[in-house]
Amino acid sequence: MVSEISTMLAQAGCDHRDGVGPYPETIVGIVSMLRFVKGFGLFTAVALGVAAAPVHAAGDLLVAPTRVILDGSRGTEVVLNNIGSEPATYRISLEIKRMTAEGGLDEIAEDEANPAERAALDMIAFSPRRVTLPPNQPQVIRVGVRVPEGTPQGEYRAHMLFRAVPDAAAAAPAAAAKPAGEGVSIALTPIYGITIPVIVRVGDLGAEASIGEAWVGETPDGPAFNFDLARTGNRSVYGDIEVTRPGVAEPLLVARGIAVYPEVAKRNVSLRVPGELAAKLKGPVRIRYTEDREIGGGTIDEAERIVK
Amino acid sequence: MRKFGMKRAIVGAAIAALAMNASAAHAASATGTAKAKILRQITLTNTSDLQYATIISGATASTVAVSTGGTRTCGGSLTCTGTATAANFDVAGTDGAVVVVGGDSSVTLNGSLGGTMTSSLTYSSATITLGATGGSFQVGGTLNVGANQASGDYSGTFNVTANYQ
Repeated sequence: MVSEISTMLAQAGCDHRDGVGPYPETIVGIVSMLRFVKGFGLFTAVALGVAAAPVHAAGDLLVAPTRVILDGSRGTEVVLNNIGSEPATYRISLEIKRMTAEGGLDEIAEDEANPAERAALDMIAFSPRRVTLPPNQPQVIRVGVRVPEGTPQGEYRAHMLFRAVPDAAAAAPAAAAKPAGEGVSIALTPIYGITIPVIVRVGDLGAEASIGEAWVGETPDGPAFNFDLARTGNRSVYGDIEVTRPGVAEPLLVARGIAVYPEVAKRNVSLRVPGELAAKLKGPVRIRYTEDREIGGGTIDEAERIVK
Repeated sequence: MRKFGMKRAIVGAAIAALAMNASAAHAASATGTAKAKILRQITLTNTSDLQYATIISGATASTVAVSTGGTRTCGGSLTCTGTATAANFDVAGTDGAVVVVGGDSSVTLNGSLGGTMTSSLTYSSATITLGATGGSFQVGGTLNVGANQASGDYSGTFNVTANYQ
Protein backbone atom coordinates (compact mmCIF):
# COMPACT_ATOMS: atom_id res chain seq x y z
CA MET A 1 0.00 0.00 0.00
CA VAL A 2 1.32 3.39 -0.88
CA SER A 3 0.80 4.88 2.48
CA GLU A 4 1.69 8.48 1.94
CA ILE A 5 -0.82 9.06 -0.78
CA SER A 6 -3.84 10.12 1.09
CA THR A 7 -4.61 13.69 0.80
CA MET A 8 -3.72 16.33 -1.65
CA LEU A 9 -3.80 19.98 -1.10
CA ALA A 10 -3.29 21.25 -4.59
CA GLN A 11 -2.35 24.84 -4.90
CA ALA A 12 -2.22 26.66 -8.18
CA GLY A 13 0.59 29.16 -8.29
CA CYS A 14 0.48 29.88 -4.60
CA ASP A 15 2.70 27.63 -2.63
CA HIS A 16 3.00 29.13 0.81
CA ARG A 17 6.31 27.39 1.33
CA ASP A 18 8.24 29.31 -1.30
CA GLY A 19 6.26 32.45 -0.78
CA VAL A 20 5.47 32.93 -4.46
CA GLY A 21 2.07 34.42 -4.92
CA PRO A 22 -0.45 35.29 -2.28
CA TYR A 23 -1.56 32.58 0.06
CA PRO A 24 -5.24 32.99 0.59
CA GLU A 25 -5.82 34.32 4.04
CA THR A 26 -9.14 32.65 4.27
CA ILE A 27 -8.54 29.01 4.80
CA VAL A 28 -11.15 27.11 2.95
CA GLY A 29 -12.99 24.59 5.00
CA ILE A 30 -15.05 21.87 3.49
CA VAL A 31 -18.70 22.53 4.08
CA SER A 32 -19.29 21.13 7.47
CA MET A 33 -22.39 19.15 7.73
CA LEU A 34 -24.79 18.23 10.41
CA ARG A 35 -26.40 15.05 9.50
CA PHE A 36 -28.61 12.84 11.42
CA VAL A 37 -26.64 10.28 13.33
CA LYS A 38 -28.26 6.95 13.39
CA GLY A 39 -26.23 5.71 16.29
CA PHE A 40 -22.98 3.98 16.51
CA GLY A 41 -23.95 0.42 15.95
CA LEU A 42 -21.92 -0.40 19.00
CA PHE A 43 -23.70 -3.03 20.90
CA THR A 44 -22.92 -5.23 23.79
CA ALA A 45 -23.15 -8.89 24.42
CA VAL A 46 -26.54 -9.57 25.85
CA ALA A 47 -27.53 -13.18 26.00
CA LEU A 48 -25.95 -15.74 28.22
CA GLY A 49 -23.55 -17.96 26.37
CA VAL A 50 -23.89 -16.09 23.11
CA ALA A 51 -20.72 -14.44 21.96
CA ALA A 52 -21.32 -10.98 20.62
CA ALA A 53 -20.63 -10.41 16.97
CA PRO A 54 -17.46 -8.34 16.56
CA VAL A 55 -18.27 -4.68 16.83
CA HIS A 56 -17.47 -3.01 13.61
CA ALA A 57 -16.30 0.01 14.48
CA ALA A 58 -17.95 3.28 14.11
CA GLY A 59 -15.25 5.74 14.92
CA ASP A 60 -12.46 4.45 12.70
CA LEU A 61 -10.55 7.44 11.48
CA LEU A 62 -7.83 8.89 9.27
CA VAL A 63 -5.78 11.95 10.15
CA ALA A 64 -3.32 13.80 7.91
CA PRO A 65 -0.71 15.17 8.30
CA THR A 66 0.85 13.39 11.26
CA ARG A 67 2.79 16.34 12.64
CA VAL A 68 2.26 20.08 12.52
CA ILE A 69 4.92 22.75 13.00
CA LEU A 70 3.88 26.39 13.09
CA ASP A 71 6.24 29.32 12.98
CA GLY A 72 4.02 31.47 15.10
CA SER A 73 2.10 33.45 12.53
CA ARG A 74 0.58 31.25 9.90
CA GLY A 75 -1.95 28.52 10.45
CA THR A 76 -2.50 25.25 8.69
CA GLU A 77 -5.06 22.55 8.09
CA VAL A 78 -5.47 18.99 9.25
CA VAL A 79 -7.76 16.55 7.48
CA LEU A 80 -9.93 14.14 9.46
CA ASN A 81 -11.79 11.42 7.60
CA ASN A 82 -14.39 8.95 8.82
CA ILE A 83 -13.17 5.62 7.45
CA GLY A 84 -15.67 3.58 9.44
CA SER A 85 -18.85 2.11 8.02
CA GLU A 86 -21.22 4.18 10.16
CA PRO A 87 -21.66 7.89 10.73
CA ALA A 88 -19.64 9.07 13.69
CA THR A 89 -19.25 12.19 15.76
CA TYR A 90 -15.65 13.14 16.42
CA ARG A 91 -14.33 15.48 19.03
CA ILE A 92 -11.09 17.34 18.49
CA SER A 93 -9.17 18.58 21.51
CA LEU A 94 -5.70 19.59 22.64
CA GLU A 95 -3.89 17.46 25.18
CA ILE A 96 -0.65 17.86 27.02
CA LYS A 97 1.81 15.02 26.85
CA ARG A 98 5.30 14.78 28.26
CA MET A 99 7.94 12.52 26.87
CA THR A 100 9.42 10.01 29.28
CA ALA A 101 12.99 8.74 29.40
CA GLU A 102 11.67 5.52 27.86
CA GLY A 103 10.27 7.44 24.90
CA GLY A 104 6.64 7.14 25.96
CA LEU A 105 4.20 10.04 26.03
CA ASP A 106 2.60 10.59 29.43
CA GLU A 107 -0.73 12.29 29.48
CA ILE A 108 -0.79 15.32 31.77
CA ALA A 109 -4.02 16.67 33.25
CA GLU A 110 -4.68 20.26 32.29
CA ASP A 111 -4.48 21.53 35.87
CA GLU A 112 -1.00 20.04 36.17
CA ALA A 113 0.30 21.84 33.13
CA ASN A 114 3.42 23.96 33.57
CA PRO A 115 3.42 27.56 32.26
CA ALA A 116 4.92 26.64 28.86
CA GLU A 117 2.38 23.88 28.32
CA ARG A 118 -0.40 26.24 29.39
CA ALA A 119 0.92 28.80 26.91
CA ALA A 120 0.82 26.21 24.12
CA LEU A 121 -2.83 25.45 24.83
CA ASP A 122 -3.63 29.16 24.79
CA MET A 123 -1.83 30.03 21.57
CA ILE A 124 -3.19 27.20 19.41
CA ALA A 125 -6.71 27.73 18.08
CA PHE A 126 -8.63 25.25 15.97
CA SER A 127 -12.04 24.76 14.49
CA PRO A 128 -14.33 22.86 14.42
CA ARG A 129 -14.05 21.06 17.76
CA ARG A 130 -16.80 18.57 17.13
CA VAL A 131 -18.00 17.21 13.84
CA THR A 132 -20.38 14.51 12.66
CA LEU A 133 -19.23 12.75 9.53
CA PRO A 134 -20.92 10.12 7.38
CA PRO A 135 -18.65 7.29 6.20
CA ASN A 136 -15.83 8.38 3.93
CA GLN A 137 -16.45 12.04 4.52
CA PRO A 138 -13.37 14.17 5.16
CA GLN A 139 -13.38 17.33 7.20
CA VAL A 140 -10.73 20.03 7.26
CA ILE A 141 -9.77 21.21 10.74
CA ARG A 142 -8.32 24.70 10.60
CA VAL A 143 -5.46 25.27 12.99
CA GLY A 144 -4.38 28.79 13.83
CA VAL A 145 -1.76 30.20 16.12
CA ARG A 146 -1.46 33.49 17.96
CA VAL A 147 1.72 34.12 19.88
CA PRO A 148 1.16 36.83 22.50
CA GLU A 149 3.64 39.68 22.60
CA GLY A 150 6.49 39.00 24.97
CA THR A 151 6.28 35.21 24.77
CA PRO A 152 9.73 33.87 25.65
CA GLN A 153 11.45 32.16 22.76
CA GLY A 154 11.19 28.43 22.74
CA GLU A 155 9.19 25.53 21.50
CA TYR A 156 5.56 25.22 22.59
CA ARG A 157 3.70 22.00 22.01
CA ALA A 158 0.34 20.40 22.47
CA HIS A 159 -1.04 17.17 21.04
CA MET A 160 -4.19 17.32 18.99
CA LEU A 161 -6.50 14.43 19.79
CA PHE A 162 -9.11 13.22 17.33
CA ARG A 163 -11.55 10.66 18.55
CA ALA A 164 -15.07 9.46 18.16
CA VAL A 165 -17.56 10.37 20.83
CA PRO A 166 -19.27 7.26 22.19
CA ASP A 167 -22.93 7.26 21.41
CA ALA A 168 -25.40 7.26 24.29
CA ALA A 169 -27.16 4.26 22.76
CA ALA A 170 -23.95 2.29 23.06
CA ALA A 171 -23.84 2.63 26.81
CA ALA A 172 -25.93 -0.17 28.26
CA PRO A 173 -28.69 -2.38 26.95
CA ALA A 174 -30.79 -1.73 30.02
CA ALA A 175 -33.88 -3.35 28.55
CA ALA A 176 -32.23 -6.72 28.21
CA ALA A 177 -32.09 -7.50 31.88
CA LYS A 178 -30.61 -10.85 32.70
CA PRO A 179 -32.38 -13.28 34.99
CA ALA A 180 -30.69 -13.43 38.37
CA GLY A 181 -28.11 -16.13 38.91
CA GLU A 182 -27.35 -16.58 35.25
CA GLY A 183 -23.82 -15.27 35.33
CA VAL A 184 -22.34 -12.07 34.04
CA SER A 185 -21.56 -10.92 30.55
CA ILE A 186 -18.99 -8.29 29.89
CA ALA A 187 -18.82 -5.63 27.21
CA LEU A 188 -15.90 -3.25 27.03
CA THR A 189 -16.11 -0.47 24.51
CA PRO A 190 -12.87 1.22 23.51
CA ILE A 191 -12.92 4.94 22.87
CA TYR A 192 -10.03 5.29 20.52
CA GLY A 193 -8.32 8.07 18.74
CA ILE A 194 -5.20 9.49 17.17
CA THR A 195 -2.95 12.25 18.46
CA ILE A 196 -0.53 14.33 16.45
CA PRO A 197 1.85 16.94 17.85
CA VAL A 198 1.21 20.61 17.10
CA ILE A 199 4.44 22.50 17.64
CA VAL A 200 4.83 26.28 17.74
CA ARG A 201 8.34 27.65 17.45
CA VAL A 202 9.01 31.13 18.75
CA GLY A 203 12.37 32.71 18.01
CA ASP A 204 15.50 31.29 16.47
CA LEU A 205 15.89 27.82 17.93
CA GLY A 206 18.43 25.09 17.51
CA ALA A 207 19.10 21.59 18.75
CA GLU A 208 21.49 18.73 18.28
CA ALA A 209 21.26 15.05 19.05
CA SER A 210 23.77 12.32 19.68
CA ILE A 211 23.42 8.57 19.49
CA GLY A 212 24.54 6.63 22.56
CA GLU A 213 25.01 2.96 23.27
CA ALA A 214 23.03 0.39 21.31
CA TRP A 215 21.96 -3.07 22.39
CA VAL A 216 19.47 -5.81 21.72
CA GLY A 217 17.28 -6.60 24.71
CA GLU A 218 14.27 -8.66 25.62
CA THR A 219 10.92 -7.08 26.39
CA PRO A 220 7.87 -8.97 27.68
CA ASP A 221 6.60 -8.90 24.09
CA GLY A 222 9.77 -10.06 22.38
CA PRO A 223 13.19 -8.78 21.41
CA ALA A 224 13.86 -5.11 20.80
CA PHE A 225 16.67 -3.03 19.36
CA ASN A 226 17.56 -0.26 21.79
CA PHE A 227 19.75 2.80 21.77
CA ASP A 228 20.04 6.04 23.70
CA LEU A 229 19.40 9.33 22.01
CA ALA A 230 20.58 12.50 23.76
CA ARG A 231 19.53 16.02 22.87
CA THR A 232 20.87 19.51 23.53
CA GLY A 233 19.47 22.89 22.58
CA ASN A 234 16.17 24.69 22.95
CA ARG A 235 13.90 22.73 20.67
CA SER A 236 12.99 19.14 19.86
CA VAL A 237 14.78 16.97 17.35
CA TYR A 238 12.86 14.76 14.98
CA GLY A 239 13.84 12.41 12.24
CA ASP A 240 14.37 8.93 10.88
CA ILE A 241 16.66 6.18 12.09
CA GLU A 242 18.50 3.88 9.73
CA VAL A 243 20.64 1.00 10.95
CA THR A 244 23.04 -0.47 8.43
CA ARG A 245 25.79 -3.07 8.52
CA PRO A 246 29.09 -1.79 7.12
CA GLY A 247 29.47 -3.10 3.58
CA VAL A 248 25.82 -3.99 3.19
CA ALA A 249 23.69 -1.56 1.21
CA GLU A 250 20.27 -2.69 2.38
CA PRO A 251 19.50 -1.22 5.83
CA LEU A 252 18.83 -3.71 8.59
CA LEU A 253 16.26 -1.49 10.23
CA VAL A 254 14.44 1.73 9.37
CA ALA A 255 12.29 3.61 11.87
CA ARG A 256 10.73 6.92 10.93
CA GLY A 257 9.40 9.70 13.06
CA ILE A 258 11.54 9.47 16.18
CA ALA A 259 11.44 12.62 18.31
CA VAL A 260 13.27 13.81 21.40
CA TYR A 261 11.19 16.54 22.97
CA PRO A 262 12.69 19.43 24.96
CA GLU A 263 11.40 18.12 28.29
CA VAL A 264 13.90 15.27 28.10
CA ALA A 265 17.65 15.58 27.59
CA LYS A 266 17.94 11.92 26.71
CA ARG A 267 15.59 9.11 25.83
CA ASN A 268 15.79 5.45 25.10
CA VAL A 269 14.59 4.34 21.69
CA SER A 270 13.27 0.79 21.84
CA LEU A 271 12.12 -0.79 18.61
CA ARG A 272 10.50 -4.21 18.63
CA VAL A 273 12.07 -6.49 16.06
CA PRO A 274 11.49 -10.08 15.00
CA GLY A 275 13.86 -12.58 16.64
CA GLU A 276 15.66 -13.26 13.38
CA LEU A 277 16.42 -9.57 12.89
CA ALA A 278 17.45 -9.19 16.54
CA ALA A 279 20.16 -11.79 15.99
CA LYS A 280 21.29 -10.10 12.80
CA LEU A 281 21.54 -6.69 14.45
CA LYS A 282 24.19 -7.88 16.89
CA GLY A 283 27.68 -6.84 15.91
CA PRO A 284 29.03 -3.76 14.17
CA VAL A 285 26.42 -1.38 12.81
CA ARG A 286 26.14 2.20 11.67
CA ILE A 287 23.21 4.14 13.11
CA ARG A 288 22.18 7.27 11.27
CA TYR A 289 19.64 9.79 12.55
CA THR A 290 18.47 12.08 9.77
CA GLU A 291 16.06 14.95 9.55
CA ASP A 292 12.69 14.38 7.99
CA ARG A 293 12.87 13.79 4.24
CA GLU A 294 10.40 16.64 3.82
CA ILE A 295 12.92 19.15 5.10
CA GLY A 296 15.92 17.76 3.27
CA GLY A 297 16.92 14.66 5.18
CA GLY A 298 20.20 16.06 6.52
CA THR A 299 22.16 14.00 9.02
CA ILE A 300 21.57 14.92 12.65
CA ASP A 301 23.99 12.35 14.03
CA GLU A 302 25.72 9.25 12.87
CA ALA A 303 27.57 6.65 14.91
CA GLU A 304 29.31 3.29 14.61
CA ARG A 305 28.32 0.95 17.37
CA ILE A 306 28.93 -2.63 18.33
CA VAL A 307 25.52 -3.98 19.26
CA LYS A 308 25.59 -6.33 22.20
CA MET B 1 -12.71 0.06 2.52
CA ARG B 2 -9.66 1.87 3.70
CA LYS B 3 -8.60 2.61 0.15
CA PHE B 4 -12.01 4.01 -0.61
CA GLY B 5 -11.66 6.27 2.39
CA MET B 6 -8.41 7.62 1.07
CA LYS B 7 -9.91 8.37 -2.29
CA ARG B 8 -12.57 10.38 -0.64
CA ALA B 9 -9.96 12.22 1.36
CA ILE B 10 -8.37 13.25 -1.92
CA VAL B 11 -11.69 14.33 -3.31
CA GLY B 12 -12.52 16.31 -0.22
CA ALA B 13 -9.20 18.09 -0.18
CA ALA B 14 -9.52 18.72 -3.88
CA ILE B 15 -12.73 20.62 -3.18
CA ALA B 16 -10.79 22.79 -0.78
CA ALA B 17 -8.08 23.17 -3.40
CA LEU B 18 -10.59 24.27 -6.03
CA ALA B 19 -11.84 26.97 -3.75
CA MET B 20 -8.26 28.02 -3.10
CA ASN B 21 -7.65 28.16 -6.81
CA ALA B 22 -10.63 30.42 -7.13
CA SER B 23 -9.15 32.92 -4.75
CA ALA B 24 -5.73 32.56 -6.32
CA ALA B 25 -7.28 33.49 -9.65
CA HIS B 26 -8.05 36.91 -8.26
CA ALA B 27 -4.34 37.45 -7.86
CA ALA B 28 -4.13 38.01 -11.61
CA SER B 29 -1.51 35.35 -12.04
CA ALA B 30 -1.08 34.20 -15.61
CA THR B 31 0.89 31.11 -14.80
CA GLY B 32 -0.86 27.79 -14.77
CA THR B 33 1.44 25.85 -12.50
CA ALA B 34 -0.22 23.41 -10.20
CA LYS B 35 1.36 21.91 -7.15
CA ALA B 36 0.18 19.04 -5.09
CA LYS B 37 1.20 18.35 -1.56
CA ILE B 38 0.89 14.82 -0.39
CA LEU B 39 0.25 14.70 3.32
CA ARG B 40 1.32 11.84 5.50
CA GLN B 41 -1.55 10.09 7.09
CA ILE B 42 -2.40 7.75 9.89
CA THR B 43 -5.46 5.57 10.17
CA LEU B 44 -6.75 3.68 13.18
CA THR B 45 -9.37 0.97 12.91
CA ASN B 46 -10.86 -1.21 15.62
CA THR B 47 -11.30 -4.75 14.32
CA SER B 48 -12.19 -6.66 17.47
CA ASP B 49 -13.27 -5.92 21.01
CA LEU B 50 -11.89 -7.09 24.30
CA GLN B 51 -14.36 -9.85 25.17
CA TYR B 52 -14.36 -11.78 28.41
CA ALA B 53 -17.60 -13.34 27.15
CA THR B 54 -19.79 -14.90 29.85
CA ILE B 55 -18.70 -15.75 33.36
CA ILE B 56 -20.59 -17.54 36.11
CA SER B 57 -19.19 -16.34 39.40
CA GLY B 58 -18.31 -18.61 42.27
CA ALA B 59 -18.33 -18.50 46.05
CA THR B 60 -14.86 -16.93 46.19
CA ALA B 61 -13.40 -13.93 44.42
CA SER B 62 -11.32 -14.74 41.38
CA THR B 63 -10.01 -13.36 38.12
CA VAL B 64 -10.42 -13.96 34.42
CA ALA B 65 -7.51 -12.95 32.20
CA VAL B 66 -7.52 -12.48 28.45
CA SER B 67 -4.00 -12.22 27.06
CA THR B 68 -3.13 -9.81 24.26
CA GLY B 69 -3.06 -12.93 22.12
CA GLY B 70 -6.71 -13.59 22.98
CA THR B 71 -6.24 -16.61 25.26
CA ARG B 72 -8.58 -16.69 28.25
CA THR B 73 -7.51 -17.99 31.63
CA CYS B 74 -10.49 -18.70 33.84
CA GLY B 75 -9.92 -18.43 37.60
CA GLY B 76 -10.44 -21.42 39.84
CA SER B 77 -13.92 -20.84 41.21
CA LEU B 78 -15.39 -19.52 37.96
CA THR B 79 -17.10 -21.01 34.94
CA CYS B 80 -16.36 -19.27 31.64
CA THR B 81 -18.30 -19.75 28.43
CA GLY B 82 -18.44 -18.04 25.06
CA THR B 83 -15.56 -16.90 22.92
CA ALA B 84 -13.03 -14.52 24.44
CA THR B 85 -11.03 -12.15 22.27
CA ALA B 86 -8.46 -9.42 22.79
CA ALA B 87 -9.19 -6.01 21.33
CA ASN B 88 -7.34 -5.42 18.09
CA PHE B 89 -6.50 -2.13 16.47
CA ASP B 90 -4.99 -1.78 13.02
CA VAL B 91 -2.80 1.22 12.35
CA ALA B 92 -1.73 2.28 8.87
CA GLY B 93 0.57 5.06 7.82
CA THR B 94 4.03 5.79 6.48
CA ASP B 95 6.16 2.68 6.05
CA GLY B 96 8.62 2.56 8.93
CA ALA B 97 6.82 5.10 11.08
CA VAL B 98 6.97 4.55 14.83
CA VAL B 99 3.64 4.99 16.60
CA VAL B 100 3.37 5.24 20.38
CA VAL B 101 0.45 3.30 21.84
CA GLY B 102 -1.26 4.78 24.88
CA GLY B 103 -4.35 4.03 26.90
CA ASP B 104 -6.02 3.50 30.23
CA SER B 105 -4.46 0.91 32.50
CA SER B 106 -7.75 -0.04 34.13
CA VAL B 107 -11.47 0.24 33.57
CA THR B 108 -14.52 0.04 35.85
CA LEU B 109 -17.53 -1.92 34.61
CA ASN B 110 -21.04 -1.24 35.79
CA GLY B 111 -23.60 -4.00 35.90
CA SER B 112 -27.11 -3.70 34.49
CA LEU B 113 -28.50 -5.06 37.77
CA GLY B 114 -26.11 -3.14 40.00
CA GLY B 115 -22.62 -4.00 41.09
CA THR B 116 -19.26 -3.07 39.62
CA MET B 117 -16.12 -4.85 38.57
CA THR B 118 -12.71 -3.61 37.61
CA SER B 119 -10.42 -4.83 34.91
CA SER B 120 -6.77 -4.05 34.41
CA LEU B 121 -5.70 -3.59 30.79
CA THR B 122 -2.52 -4.71 29.09
CA TYR B 123 -1.16 -3.59 25.74
CA SER B 124 0.78 -5.80 23.39
CA SER B 125 3.40 -3.13 22.84
CA ALA B 126 4.27 0.40 23.91
CA THR B 127 5.32 1.30 20.38
CA ILE B 128 4.77 -0.21 16.97
CA THR B 129 6.83 0.28 13.85
CA LEU B 130 4.60 0.27 10.81
CA GLY B 131 5.46 -1.99 7.92
CA ALA B 132 4.38 -1.65 4.31
CA THR B 133 0.96 -2.95 5.27
CA GLY B 134 0.77 -1.03 8.54
CA GLY B 135 0.77 -2.61 11.96
CA SER B 136 -1.50 -3.54 14.81
CA PHE B 137 -1.66 -3.73 18.57
CA GLN B 138 -3.84 -5.69 20.94
CA VAL B 139 -5.38 -4.97 24.31
CA GLY B 140 -5.97 -7.72 26.84
CA GLY B 141 -6.87 -7.54 30.48
CA THR B 142 -7.57 -9.16 33.80
CA LEU B 143 -11.07 -8.93 35.22
CA ASN B 144 -11.61 -9.04 38.97
CA VAL B 145 -14.75 -11.00 39.74
CA GLY B 146 -16.09 -10.74 43.27
CA ALA B 147 -17.44 -13.62 45.33
CA ASN B 148 -21.01 -14.22 44.16
CA GLN B 149 -20.69 -11.24 41.84
CA ALA B 150 -24.15 -9.87 41.03
CA SER B 151 -25.24 -11.24 37.67
CA GLY B 152 -26.07 -8.94 34.80
CA ASP B 153 -24.57 -7.30 31.77
CA TYR B 154 -21.50 -5.35 32.71
CA SER B 155 -20.23 -2.61 30.45
CA GLY B 156 -17.48 -0.05 30.54
CA THR B 157 -15.40 2.12 28.26
CA PHE B 158 -11.67 2.66 28.08
CA ASN B 159 -9.49 5.11 26.19
CA VAL B 160 -6.88 4.07 23.63
CA THR B 161 -4.77 6.37 21.48
CA ALA B 162 -2.25 5.93 18.70
CA ASN B 163 0.21 8.79 19.03
CA TYR B 164 2.62 10.22 16.54
CA GLN B 165 5.69 11.78 18.10
